[in-house]
Amino acid sequence: MAHFSLFAHTKDLEHKIDDLMNKIIDISMVFKKAVRLFLKEKRSNDYRKLSKEIKIIEHDADVLRRDIENSLYEHNLIPAFRGDVLELVESLDKVLNEFDEVAHQFYLENPDIPSVYHEDMKELVSQVCACAENLAMGARAFFRDFSAVRDYSEKVYFYEKQSDKTTAKLKQIIFESDLELAHKLQLRSFLSEVADIADLAEDCVDKLLIYVIKRDI
Amino acid sequence: MMELTYLFFLSSGLFLGFSLGANDVSNIFGAAVGSKLIKFKAAALIATIFVIIGAVYGGGATTRSLTQLGQVNALAGAFMVALSAALSVYFMAKTGLTTSTSQAIVGGIIGWNLYAGHKTDLSILFQIATGWILCPILSAVLAVLLYFMLKNLFHKIKLHVLMQDQILRMALVCVGAFCTYALGANNIANVMGVFTYCVHVPSVHVWIFHFSGLQILFLLGGIAISFGIWTYSQKTMETIGQSLMKMSPFVAFVVILSEALALFVFSSETLQNILGSLHLPSLPLVPVSSTQAVIGAILGIALLKGGRGVNWSITGRIVMGWVTTPLMSLIICFISLFFLENVFQLQVFLP
Repeated sequence: MAHFSLFAHTKDLEHKIDDLMNKIIDISMVFKKAVRLFLKEKRSNDYRKLSKEIKIIEHDADVLRRDIENSLYEHNLIPAFRGDVLELVESLDKVLNEFDEVAHQFYLENPDIPSVYHEDMKELVSQVCACAENLAMGARAFFRDFSAVRDYSEKVYFYEKQSDKTTAKLKQIIFESDLELAHKLQLRSFLSEVADIADLAEDCVDKLLIYVIKRDI
Repeated sequence: MMELTYLFFLSSGLFLGFSLGANDVSNIFGAAVGSKLIKFKAAALIATIFVIIGAVYGGGATTRSLTQLGQVNALAGAFMVALSAALSVYFMAKTGLTTSTSQAIVGGIIGWNLYAGHKTDLSILFQIATGWILCPILSAVLAVLLYFMLKNLFHKIKLHVLMQDQILRMALVCVGAFCTYALGANNIANVMGVFTYCVHVPSVHVWIFHFSGLQILFLLGGIAISFGIWTYSQKTMETIGQSLMKMSPFVAFVVILSEALALFVFSSETLQNILGSLHLPSLPLVPVSSTQAVIGAILGIALLKGGRGVNWSITGRIVMGWVTTPLMSLIICFISLFFLENVFQLQVFLP
């Protein structure tokens, strides 16, 4: 009986970790939608709703993360492995936080983004979101199928590089434009914040690959 | 008074049992205790139960091989054989050579044979030495096969890593129990084997169980091993556990399972009979070194992974141990028997 409850506990923890991956995919999709809406309507009521939705997902993910961390300690995992899972969960949480922060910043500062940059901005957001979504799939694969982690991490690296290029291109165009310096600086700050999501996803994937090497029996 | 004399002379064998419990059992439960899967007390309890069952029910075959090598027929002589084995293991361990009580006790018995003027059966000696050489090799082969098969299985069924971890940790406890059983069955001969011809214990009937005199003697040896487990193995388990965990829980599991199977193959009469009935070659039922079985398994897996970072000097130390441990024990035993007989006026052999 004790063994069954032990396995039930493991199953429960498995579900919680899976849920955390779902939250990353959810937040990424809502974020993509929110930025597109912002470019169209700026700080509208609908954007506020999406921004709130992002906040709720981030909050739920925080609760889930704390729950996972507690369960990991109660679960009596092999200490080295427990450390790796804890670090992974915390790194994933940083990505989730960044999504929330950027969305909130859009709402607070309500920046004026000239329409000439909209297409590139959408492109950047798509690349950043692809990074996060592939990270979530890679992290999920870490728990079930090590060989797939490498495939997803390759995609994360690819999209991160693309996002770097898009960011650099946009920054250059912005600073070559006739906008006010303060406006240029504000837009640069936004671009950097968005690109940071991809950077955080890349850091997370780096760690993931090390865990795979450590765990590959 | 008679019992006290018996107990005094048995003390050297009991000391061997004590050191077996303190050292060899740590290899087995190190991974489980070091990773805090089970508490030391639980591990010690499981080890105690299974080592005693192994000794009492499975210790007969290896003991017969040892007694075929030399039938030590005087209590003082048996005391000296076991003591010289214990001393040589202690000295060899100090020099850093890989050694085992199995090799030391054989040296002691040959020393006694030489002193008593008994002929040593070279074919039995050859059988025993073959066992020592084959044990780490067999353990390495088993480790490679198990590693390969189980790794493929785990990859195929794509279990969640958490579930894998949970199953492995439980498997570590189960395989630990099996391994302590095999250790008791294989190595009790080193602890009590030399006393079988000079200590006569009456058989006992408890409820539906019948224990022969030999089994009572083995029970005593098993209790000595358990004493070693409870008093000295905790620290070693924690140290070994941490170094074992560096190889991943899966490898630790394969290493312990290979050790258990190697020890079991060298002590199970039933398995020998099955192999015989299938016309398959069987291995000699002789006491072997559990530490060398562990080293064999680790080397096997290291070679499978490309052999990087393998410390080859350890294999040299094992081979050196096969020769130097019995030789040292033989010399200590021969000289000490002389003193025991001529200075302490004790009868060390019956003509």
